[in-house]
Amino acid sequence: MSIRVNPNPTPDLLAALAEVQQQVDTATVELSTGSRINKPSDDPAGAAQLAEIHDRGSQNDSFQKSISSITGGFQSADSTLSSVITALERAITLGVQGANGTLSDSDRAVVAQELTGIQTQLIGLANTAYQGQFLFSGTARTQPFVADSAAASGVRYNGNAGVNTVTVGNGYQLQVNLPGSQLFTATGSDMFQSIQDLITSLGNNSGIGTAVAEVRNAFDYVTAQRVFYGNALNQIDSQTAFLNNEKLDLSRQENAVAGADIASVASQLVNNQTARSATLAAIGRMPQDSLFDYLK
Amino acid sequence: MSSLFGTMSIAVGALQAEQGAIDATTNNVANANTPGYSRLQPVLTENDPVIVGPLTLGTGVSLQKLESLRDPILQLRIQEETQQQGQLDAFVSGMQQIEVNFTGSSGDIGTQISNFFSSLSQLARDPASLPLRQAVLTAAGNLANSFHNTADNLSKQQSNLDLNVTQAVQQIDTLTTQIAKLNGQISTLENANHDASAFIDQRDVLIGQLSNLVDVSAIRSDSGLTLTTSNGTALVAGNLSFGLATQTDSSGVQHIFAQGADITGKITSGSLAGALQVRDQKIPTLLSNLDTLAAGLGNALNTANQAGFDLSGTAAGNLFVPPPISGQGAASSLTVAITDPTLLAASSDGSPGSNGNIATLLAVHDQAVAGGQTPNDYYANLLFSVGSDVSNGSAELSASQLILRQLQDQRGSISCVSLDEEAANMVRFQRAFDAAARVVTTVDQMLQTVINMGT
Repeated sequence: MSIRVNPNPTPDLLAALAEVQQQVDTATVELSTGSRINKPSDDPAGAAQLAEIHDRGSQNDSFQKSISSITGGFQSADSTLSSVITALERAITLGVQGANGTLSDSDRAVVAQELTGIQTQLIGLANTAYQGQFLFSGTARTQPFVADSAAASGVRYNGNAGVNTVTVGNGYQLQVNLPGSQLFTATGSDMFQSIQDLITSLGNNSGIGTAVAEVRNAFDYVTAQRVFYGNALNQIDSQTAFLNNEKLDLSRQENAVAGADIASVASQLVNNQTARSATLAAIGRMPQDSLFDYLK
Repeated sequence: MSSLFGTMSIAVGALQAEQGAIDATTNNVANANTPGYSRLQPVLTENDPVIVGPLTLGTGVSLQKLESLRDPILQLRIQEETQQQGQLDAFVSGMQQIEVNFTGSSGDIGTQISNFFSSLSQLARDPASLPLRQAVLTAAGNLANSFHNTADNLSKQQSNLDLNVTQAVQQIDTLTTQIAKLNGQISTLENANHDASAFIDQRDVLIGQLSNLVDVSAIRSDSGLTLTTSNGTALVAGNLSFGLATQTDSSGVQHIFAQGADITGKITSGSLAGALQVRDQKIPTLLSNLDTLAAGLGNALNTANQAGFDLSGTAAGNLFVPPPISGQGAASSLTVAITDPTLLAASSDGSPGSNGNIATLLAVHDQAVAGGQTPNDYYANLLFSVGSDVSNGSAELSASQLILRQLQDQRGSISCVSLDEEAANMVRFQRAFDAAARVVTTVDQMLQTVINMGT
């Protein structure tokens, strides 16, 4: 006797239909999101990795935003220092002129007056602000340099010696400012003092050479300090390149972990749809008749 | 020597037997779509012969009984697998609802942690900016909210499962009462040597439903069927049923009692076990993990904030309301302590333009704040554990469904009604009936002939 088969295959067919329907749904979601991980259970280890990748991506974004927001400040500070250096050059030229013994008192007074103008210009430059923040005030928010006749150089520093750093990479902190006290009024290289001394020596017509040397010293010092901003801009450039690479790498990783293979998912979808139609057809063609229909 | 009356009685016996067989067929056809129905098969046997001199003469056929075709061992396997499937089904559907909270994308805790640190890092470029400070506070609020929402959803689901447990216990009680009643009817019939297959089929259906809810072992004895849970708690003994009861414990969850004993932890399969597993193990573990993360992160950020100075140069206080020391309930109670953005500690030296403390706050991102892991690593691990619970459970569930379908197929191949078969049988029985009737007519004519011999 042959093996008796289950005369009621309907539950099996319905289960097969539900299964293939689920596969169609999964493939559709994967195609519409482009990702094969749409909930943690799709691939638990991959989902955990993906969470880490997203976190690193978000960090990378904030590093890049930080970099673009500090770049302007660096550029502004750099060009300000360039103007300071030009002004100091002019002061040196004026000092050398003033040291010429053929000049009359009134000629020297004219030179001294121009130097006073330069001093005012330097104060202005040292008070440069970028987007409302003084570039050379340390971490203070007050205007850093004010004219003060009580001070020996005629200028008082109102800021502080604080420096700020901004995180631009994992464990990578970039110093973003030099305090004015370090740049312009460092002991022995105080540019305001040197200009003031030059003006005084021109008025007295004595020690002009020494005063010019003092200005030159301040000029050399500021020029050396300016390197900081040039370096910072270079560092930012290379860090941006690094972050861009990292970003690319992260999206590559994300794609490797979660990216749906569109071509294969699409063909899977077609296969599943075909399977679904076939199952439906099978259910539809299940024998409608039995032996009873043929009995007469 | 046989007699004509003897032949007549053989034919009449055959008529009765074939009619009984047609009864079986009719009943099978009528119940072709009845769930749990096991088809009937007429058992026809040859009657004992009579020996007359050198001849051994047959005495016809009789219908001994209508036998129900079923395999009790298979039925047992089906019950076991149904329990397994019930448990996995309840477990997976419970965990899937939990999984929704751990999407790994928009708005979940992990994303909010990343967003918070991004907003902090934006503040570094202009530490005195009030809009940027406000953005950090808003991100901190969102972070706290994501913890609340997740913890609340988990607690809500816990109470929903609690309701499921109560309902399941009520269903179990209804089913055991019905099974006990059927047990009584079956033993009454069987003791009187009657066929109880109709009631046995019904009972199998009910035991199937019961297996879906709870782990049932069936013991068959002379006094009928005894059903117990796998740890030996009696549910049905003969025609008696023992109800289960639910009672709320001190923490507000429903416990299951059988005759006064708490059996909540002893239910090992069926959908009740699946629901209990999610309610009593998975959700509490997840909640306590969330608490650990919320408390660790909150405390670390508080310490970092306290290390700096606010915008007015005063030593700063807490960023979050300090989480409970035990950590319990930290996730659902995490709250930002400050509403004034100037109180955020960006400055490390007291001057308003300093951003030195932001680096300290940002460092929390890479600090081991919970279970020796950074906040994001810890969260990613939670994501993994929820995801793997669902995916492992689903895989086991489909395996179990496949096994159950195969078992049902086997049951079907033994017990299900095939209309073709019934039609063929009907023709066979009808032909035999017709033939027996023809024999009766023929014998009648022969008797006529004999009676008319004398005249």
